[in-house]
Amino acid sequence: MTSYSKEIIRDLASGQLPWPQTRRIMSAYKDDDRFFKMVAVHQDRVAWKDPILLPVSDHLFICQSGDERVTRCECGHSFGDYRKNWKLKAAIHVRNTEETLREIYPNSDLPDPAWMEIREFICPECGTLHEVEAAAPGYPIVHDFEPDLEGFYRDWLGKPLQP
Amino acid sequence: MLDKPASALRLRERLLDSERLMEETGCYDGITELSLRNQDPLKFETLHTKLRAYCVSAREMARRISASPGVREVGEMVVAIYTPEGDAIALSNGIMVHVHTMSRFIKWMIKNNYEDNPRIREGDIFANNDAFIGTVQVPDVMDVVPIFHEGTLVGWAGAVCHELEAGGITPGGDVCLAQERFTEGLFVCAEKIGENDEIRRDYVIRCERNLRMPIYWVLDEKAKVASCIDMRESVKQLISEIGLDYWMKVSKEFIEEGRRAQLARTRQLTVPGIYRGHTFYGHVTAGKPGFQPLGDPDWLYNIPIEMEIGTDGKITMDFEGTQPWGYHSMNCTPAGMDGGMFVTLTQHMNFEGLVNDGAWMATELKLPHGTWTNPDNEMVATATSWALLLPAYGVFQRLLSRSFVARGYVEEAFVGQVNSPMIEMGGESQYGTPFGMAHFECAAAGSGALAIKDGLDTAYVGWNPESDMGNIEVWEQSMPMVYIGRSIVPNSGGAGKYRGGCSFISTWLINKTSHLRLHTSEHSSRVFDNGGMCGGYPAPTCQKHRAVRNSNIHELAAKGEPLAHAPGTDPHVSDYERNIGGDHVVVEGPYITAPHKQGDIFSHSYNGGGGYGDVLERDPVKTAWDVENGFLTREAADQVFGIVLKDDAEGYPVADVDATVKRRAAMRKERLARAIPVADWIAAERGRVEKADFAPEVRKMYASAIKLSPRFTKDFSDFWNVDARSIFTAGAKP
Repeated sequence: MTSYSKEIIRDLASGQLPWPQTRRIMSAYKDDDRFFKMVAVHQDRVAWKDPILLPVSDHLFICQSGDERVTRCECGHSFGDYRKNWKLKAAIHVRNTEETLREIYPNSDLPDPAWMEIREFICPECGTLHEVEAAAPGYPIVHDFEPDLEGFYRDWLGKPLQP
Repeated sequence: MLDKPASALRLRERLLDSERLMEETGCYDGITELSLRNQDPLKFETLHTKLRAYCVSAREMARRISASPGVREVGEMVVAIYTPEGDAIALSNGIMVHVHTMSRFIKWMIKNNYEDNPRIREGDIFANNDAFIGTVQVPDVMDVVPIFHEGTLVGWAGAVCHELEAGGITPGGDVCLAQERFTEGLFVCAEKIGENDEIRRDYVIRCERNLRMPIYWVLDEKAKVASCIDMRESVKQLISEIGLDYWMKVSKEFIEEGRRAQLARTRQLTVPGIYRGHTFYGHVTAGKPGFQPLGDPDWLYNIPIEMEIGTDGKITMDFEGTQPWGYHSMNCTPAGMDGGMFVTLTQHMNFEGLVNDGAWMATELKLPHGTWTNPDNEMVATATSWALLLPAYGVFQRLLSRSFVARGYVEEAFVGQVNSPMIEMGGESQYGTPFGMAHFECAAAGSGALAIKDGLDTAYVGWNPESDMGNIEVWEQSMPMVYIGRSIVPNSGGAGKYRGGCSFISTWLINKTSHLRLHTSEHSSRVFDNGGMCGGYPAPTCQKHRAVRNSNIHELAAKGEPLAHAPGTDPHVSDYERNIGGDHVVVEGPYITAPHKQGDIFSHSYNGGGGYGDVLERDPVKTAWDVENGFLTREAADQVFGIVLKDDAEGYPVADVDATVKRRAAMRKERLARAIPVADWIAAERGRVEKADFAPEVRKMYASAIKLSPRFTKDFSDFWNVDARSIFTAGAKP
């Protein structure tokens, strides 16, 4: 069975693994012990102690926080119950003018702000930009991901979560 | 005798029986146990590898027969081997989107009693390019031949080439001006075009008299038939070695194994749950010549997708809430939607070889009736269905990638494919003859970023996994234009910790012709039709077309004056305008204008991919390299990424890491200072929603989605706490 050290997984996740080695990992059969190794790598990275249950973005994790499961930023900020859309508890900056769109696209043709805006979802504590939506004005904010956490741990990982 | 199928059942009955068995057992053709695989796994695997080798070899041979640079240079072809019922057993590399569309074509013939009329006999050749029977768009012409073994139908061999000219209302293959089926070009509707391994002369004559450049289509037909015969003979030889009974059983076990492998791969790489995303497409045709006033000229498409991964490993994609079909060429049929799913799965999950229709059977598409994904009118045009298909399956790639990130397989996460705005042309060639062609250098856009590195520059499109822009010299042989520039478009990848791959732009001098019609399609200039991920930004919208009519380029060249080889980085004034005299033209959206002539200049830009991660985490050293090599501008490095660059002794950019750290800390503070709580934004925005205070096209988009989708209506109403129907439908604000 393919397996890699935690150090290799750490370097892979941070983009530091040399490309030839990364390429070999991409081409090889997948390492079935990856999930828990990657969780351990993330756990080492964060300053807080709540056990990570699932990474959901580059700096967002679902973790066990006492009796609750919450979505937490790498900085420690909690966005609340993981079943709710974390974006609704974020800070937002909307680019819906030529001037603000031009800040991100200084040398290109722009979309029409009457047809499309950019929404930046930001951690209100550390300022990390967690997600960007490009949407028509008035479009409801998307709930990107509702994981079946119990089913995943029970049926796929064989390690049911404690209720 | 030759019509006789393998079992006592007729083909149609056998197909229905196979579908019933799948329904009853959940397994392909009722195969609940892979007995041959269990008996001798090595023999099993070796046979599949042989079949795959037959396919790859046949395709490579056929590409040498073709006259089309699309097939020869860019590889716009795929071949596959099927069961008698039309399910793919093995396939070649190439445009794999068509492996399942061909399957639909074969099944359509069977269900329409082709056994009786026009009969299915050894040596017959059947062709199709009707998307409602089974293809994506009119230039995707497919040929299949039945495989008989000692009088018994034991399978099919099939091949598809994307034709560069389809004989539609506008030249080329992606007929952008087609607004109904009747202007899309030459249709071949599940037609028997040959017997005894020979293409009928009357069919060739029809092609020759209805196409602008028949040499491409006709030689591609010969290439496809040759590849089919090659595969057929290989399969017959194989059957003589392993026996007919073994073949009939193993070919189906391959598919059932493919289905199980897809489910297992999903369980291995992803996390179960519900994933959502969306994208948009702006169709802008107001004031453009040639478009009939059959509907609103400008149209904003929303493409929401909800993907569910069940704990059994099944992936279900639901397009509810998207827009209705329209009088334009961007509609898609269920066959095309299947194809998009298949080509995405093969690239992102099934990269180990045993890929066939089994993978498709482990998924489900929900395509709402009446939408562009499943039109309730078979007269609609689908000639440029990729315009909406590509953004849609780019969303699918991002949804899958979110699941890869969650599972820890970050190296597989990929922000997705982008649209490939395409040039079609025709008129008088540089040789003084009529011609027509699609320019396929678009098969090399920038890819979306990965979760661990930047996207591929000028090297990826979702629809052709062997992406290749082709050599300039080859394209120049085929069209009355010569290149005066082909270069990277700076900042064309979406910004992020890892930027999207950059695209390129070409600039041509029209040469040796007095009548060159240039048209473009799949061109969403008014909105982003791609996206970023995990904090990355979308790549820029499609860039506007820039052309110069009656240019003075020959005079400038004679004097040795500098020319312009690309538009440059000033979005307000291009280098063409600065350096070249003549009548300058800037066109948004599809390019439909009067013919060009010798001395004119035309430029066309392709798309880059979306970015991944927070821009303020991008590596400053890598960014300096990007600036030095033209992938990013200094302005972008500074104002988007917060990277302070200095010049070294030779004037090359070098990152000032300490200054960058300080600048980024300040930018992060600025970010927080200008952001507001989402709850406050929703409260403020709600008033605008209640008044439907949006552009007419945005209001129309909501009204159309609400009319077709109760779920969209409920989601919209719940989110804003309004009655969406009363705001956007009849009686509400116009």
